[in-house]
Amino acid sequence: MFAFSSCVFVSCNHSDKSHASKDTLKGKLTISGAFALYPLTIRWAEEFRKIHPGVTINISAGGAGKGMADALSKMADLGMYSKEVSPEEMAKGAWTLACAKDAVLPVMNAANPLAKTIQAAGVTKDKFYGIFISGNVRTWGDLIGMKDANTMQVFTRSDACGAADMWAKFMMNKKQEDLQGIGVNGDPGVADAVRKTIYGIGYNNLNFVFDVQSRKPYQGLAIVPIDLNGNGKIDKEEDFYHSMDEVMAAINDGRYPSPPARRLYFVSAGKPVNKLVLAFLNFILSDGQKFVNEAGYVRLKEDVIRSQLNKLQ
Amino acid sequence: MYLLNRQQRHVVNSSWMLFSLLIIGFLPFILFGGLYFKSFLLLKTHTLKDLIFLHSWHPSRGEFGFYPFILGSIWVTLLAILISTPICLLTAINVTQYAKKRFLRVMHPVIDILAGIPSVVYGVWGILVIVPFISRYLGPWFGVQTMGYSILAAALVLSVMIIPFILNIMIEIFRTIPTELKEATLSLGATKWQMVKHVLLRKALPGIIASVGFGLARAFGETMAVLMVVGNVIKVPHSVFDPGYTLPALIANNYGEVLSIPQYDSALMFAALLLLAVSLFFNLLMHFFIARYNKY
Repeated sequence: MFAFSSCVFVSCNHSDKSHASKDTLKGKLTISGAFALYPLTIRWAEEFRKIHPGVTINISAGGAGKGMADALSKMADLGMYSKEVSPEEMAKGAWTLACAKDAVLPVMNAANPLAKTIQAAGVTKDKFYGIFISGNVRTWGDLIGMKDANTMQVFTRSDACGAADMWAKFMMNKKQEDLQGIGVNGDPGVADAVRKTIYGIGYNNLNFVFDVQSRKPYQGLAIVPIDLNGNGKIDKEEDFYHSMDEVMAAINDGRYPSPPARRLYFVSAGKPVNKLVLAFLNFILSDGQKFVNEAGYVRLKEDVIRSQLNKLQ
Repeated sequence: MYLLNRQQRHVVNSSWMLFSLLIIGFLPFILFGGLYFKSFLLLKTHTLKDLIFLHSWHPSRGEFGFYPFILGSIWVTLLAILISTPICLLTAINVTQYAKKRFLRVMHPVIDILAGIPSVVYGVWGILVIVPFISRYLGPWFGVQTMGYSILAAALVLSVMIIPFILNIMIEIFRTIPTELKEATLSLGATKWQMVKHVLLRKALPGIIASVGFGLARAFGETMAVLMVVGNVIKVPHSVFDPGYTLPALIANNYGEVLSIPQYDSALMFAALLLLAVSLFFNLLMHFFIARYNKY
């Protein structure tokens, strides 16, 4: 868990004189948690540091569970969290702030011989249930009603995380513990395992499926489209997987279901009082919002942002 | 020159030492007590027998069956020991009895390097080399379709990790066997292999068992490298190509989840208690054999 937590250390090398004179914000901010929010938080931290060069922000990804645990135990100032906060966590004093949206997408190996057929037909929620929960759908042939005896090699997340939680919730409100498959550590771990296994299937956060630069899925990874109306083919309104922006638009207008689309949160133990933390959160909900789309996330609706800003008052 | 006189200094110094000794002496008991106290919430509602022998693991429904984890741990550990013990034994015999002295001097740094590699590195090596090797070559060769993430992958990675520990002790033990004993055997007309088989191995047997026990305890508790290749599937494994889940991996993977489900925290502490109990058992066993060995 700790090993995979990639760390980014945004620190100050060149001091900007014009800012240094009036900027009094100084100190260190520690953020830990969900892989889903990790790339965006890095972006926000970089932009925030351009305005406040005296601030150091230390970000590590280790799954939503770790984010919540670190935030509540005050090991981190803020936790990145990618699922709904449970009443038990609320009872322990968790305070949340929604900051963006993204989604979990089912993925397979692009070299799968049936990839084209599956992308034309789509997979219904029931079939996904058969793959990931009950284990009824065992071969790729079972999935699309063809004679293909190649066993599906199902990958899931081994670490406590939001992606697995949301993906399980999508299938009849199940939990991460109900998901079948080989447990691999971290979002990059699952993507890598699916890319290496020709008959592999798994699920990933939007940002680990698409390359933010090219806006296309990563080499070797293909999305398994969801057949929402269950008619056995991907209709025009279900067909939005060609580029990152298409998927983001579908998440935004609700064509892509939620779950597995979900809000992303920052959590902390009680309402933050640290001035630096508050300044960072304020930045995220105001100026920071313009980097959301660019970084591959979906913006929150205006009224949601306003209500979140009120929480900071 | 000194604030205290000689007598007083003696008292101060020795009491510090006694204090340190006491801390170390009590530490295992404190750990045990703490873990027991923490897992009490779980033990209140579940019997020990249920916890150890039930198969179903659904924390959100209050079902805590540790059997798949315990079995997974045992499979991985025993398999790793089975792989590494013969290798270590033969290497130790060769290095101490057959090879030139120079060779032993080269071996020591090699062993130290192996021992010093962080477990994550072993894990990455497992994912990059062992897992594809099993899924592409070893599995098909045995007629099994496997993804490579398996008990066998974990055992192979572990076996390499524990080699330095077992090997080091074995070499030391073989070196303590008196030369006179070996010379006497050879002078009676025994061949070198007969000497090794009938004298060296017999004399060193308790020590060999102790070294294996030491390796066992280490392998049982190894977390990261195993977690990365074992597959983390909560199912009782039926073959070495099946994925499994180990106790340390359970703790490491789910520590973040404990807050949302009552008793989960307690369950993970119970897993830690089990781990501690097992490694204590191996340690005591090892000490028993060493004590026997010293009597000869």
